Amino acid sequence: MIGRALAFGFALLLAGCAPVDERPTIVVQRFFGECGAAYGTSTDVAAAETECGILTTLINRFEAENPDIRVKVNVVAWPGYPQLAAQIAAGDPPDLVTMHQSVISDYAGAGLIEPVEPLLAAAKIDPAAFTPAARAGVEKEGKLYAMPWDTIGRLWHINTALMAEAGLMRGGRPVLPSSPQELLAHARQFRQRTGKPYLIQAQVSAPDFHVALLYTYLLAQDAVIFPDDRHIRLDTPEAREIVTTFRQLNAEGLTTLNQDFPAATAAFVQGEGGIFPVGTWMLGPYEAQAADPRSPLHGHYAVAPFPRLWGDQAAFVDGHAWVVPAAKRPPAERAAMARFLAFLARYNYDWSRTGQLPAFAPVVESPAFRALPHRADIAALARTGRQLPGYVERQSAVQGLIGEELEAAITGAKPVDAALKDAERRVNRLFAQMM
Amino acid sequence: MNAAARDRWAGYAFVGPFLLVYAAVLVVPLAMGLVISLHRADLFGRRAWIGLGNYTQALGDPVLHQALGNTILLALLIVPPLTVIALLLALALNRPGRFAAILRGVFFSSLVLSVTIVTLIWRFILTPDAGLIAEGLEAAGHAPIPFLSDPDLVIPAIAVTTLWWSLGFPVMLILAGLQQVPGDIYEAAALDGASRWTVLRRITLPAIRRTLLLVVMLQTAAQLQLFGQAQLLTGGGPGGASRTIVLYIFEVSFGRWELGYATAIAELLFGMIIALTLLQYWLVTRHEGQRT
Repeated sequence: MIGRALAFGFALLLAGCAPVDERPTIVVQRFFGECGAAYGTSTDVAAAETECGILTTLINRFEAENPDIRVKVNVVAWPGYPQLAAQIAAGDPPDLVTMHQSVISDYAGAGLIEPVEPLLAAAKIDPAAFTPAARAGVEKEGKLYAMPWDTIGRLWHINTALMAEAGLMRGGRPVLPSSPQELLAHARQFRQRTGKPYLIQAQVSAPDFHVALLYTYLLAQDAVIFPDDRHIRLDTPEAREIVTTFRQLNAEGLTTLNQDFPAATAAFVQGEGGIFPVGTWMLGPYEAQAADPRSPLHGHYAVAPFPRLWGDQAAFVDGHAWVVPAAKRPPAERAAMARFLAFLARYNYDWSRTGQLPAFAPVVESPAFRALPHRADIAALARTGRQLPGYVERQSAVQGLIGEELEAAITGAKPVDAALKDAERRVNRLFAQMM
Repeated sequence: MNAAARDRWAGYAFVGPFLLVYAAVLVVPLAMGLVISLHRADLFGRRAWIGLGNYTQALGDPVLHQALGNTILLALLIVPPLTVIALLLALALNRPGRFAAILRGVFFSSLVLSVTIVTLIWRFILTPDAGLIAEGLEAAGHAPIPFLSDPDLVIPAIAVTTLWWSLGFPVMLILAGLQQVPGDIYEAAALDGASRWTVLRRITLPAIRRTLLLVVMLQTAAQLQLFGQAQLLTGGGPGGASRTIVLYIFEVSFGRWELGYATAIAELLFGMIIALTLLQYWLVTRHEGQRT
């Protein structure tokens, strides 16, 4: 017994004598899920699929190519901001963090993340190469607060078999509406001929769904949604008309009802409706379904930016970016971070296989990206996509408040006027409370 | 020092470490929360004194009022049925034998599941798209019921989910209480020819009165803090119809960074739970002194 205890103690001592790892360490914190079981040791980036698979493989490859740098990865549940806020409040932030571009203002305004121009320069990344949408997403008050990683837009994912049955295909392309009246007419025709709803919509536990529609069509009309950093303007004729149109779709049963995001996603794959207006991130998974002979979507999938119903062609976009929480770091660590960013930038094409749009203009223009299915149809989003003004903070919370009121208005639980007034009042109260 | 004083100091020495830790992790944060609630404060230490401003704001906040109503309704829909069902199950399972033991395990098993798993299971049951109930209704020629998106159905749906999840612990508590009742009282009742109803009313229920009180108090405190089921099943929707107070506190603090206001609501909730728990205790025990 004593012998065993001595051996255990000796082993502990030996463990304590292990050489100290003197490599610079960078802590990378990301969302996009955990997929270590499938991609834990993968380094073949071209063979990886899905957001999680591609990013996990990229980090593995970076570690393999840069053995002089130690990378610690924190995978956080989406979107991970409560954890990040707690880490910053505790004075122990990670070094590089995935962040939605719409959230950057909150952290930049409070000085919680640092401008990245010096890191980009060290990584030899030219900000002039960012797409207009990506640059707008990371530039706040003239400073770049992140390296943009993609642009997320909302698209119309279209079941062309059902559209053909509804008589809404011409020359092999879906016929999309160009006015709110035409939208209702198409939806009624679709319902009459197929017996199915024209739109599939996630209207349960998905507050951002209707907000993206509203922002898109307000921005398309050049409406000033946020006149300054403390006010929102939603009780307007433009907003009323947009919300009333979508309320009409619900009232006439021209859209699916009572679906959350997983249910709506599955409903589209099973051919239960014509069009699913959802993000670029579903492009990859639906392409896979369209290529699968066993899928109801096989050979019957098309995609398009939101149609121009009001105003000009414009879409509300967001994006993912890599930010650097403010902290003192030794030069070796900053050099390691720069190498990591340079590595990620080199692989921006691979990331675009997820369906998101590249953040770098040369990648958008590259033949490889254009050769990916449907990308030529949506590449314009990188140019026409519009973010909210950089001074708008708490965008996530604002979306939640507006989304709740829009849900009530569109499902008929509340008059449109009252819902928009309440949304305006609640958002303005939130802004008034900001420090 | 005499023996009594020595015993007293020994007692303090035993409870001292616990009291210190308890004060450090509970009482001190509670006091700090009270101070923060008097400020306009964010998560990162910025504060401005506003006195009772956050409490005044809470009084006029329609979203908080809706959340309060939802929370009280949920507690009313959960605590009384939970106590009655747990009592009936415990009475049925309070017997020797392998089958009863297996059933005790079955009823306790839901409690070991995390809230994530519980809400996933119930989403598969309640969702109108290929959910278990929807499939059954469609097979019978009826339209699916949107339990999670109808403002009138969403609270009952969360209440049923919580009942299923929470049943195991009260059953175990009441079983433990039942097993403390001396068997000879039941034998005497049997000799006197008492009916089963009389035995339940005159012997069993009075004997486990304190256990039932404990179950009601614990469940009231727990259900007034209901959070995970509402967040994961409905996100508080539709239109705030299932938003609970704790979900609102979470949104205000971590979504909007209004730590001062969130803390004020948390202090109000704390006061409400303490008041309700003491009221329940007083209502049940007020006559006990006279009896003894």
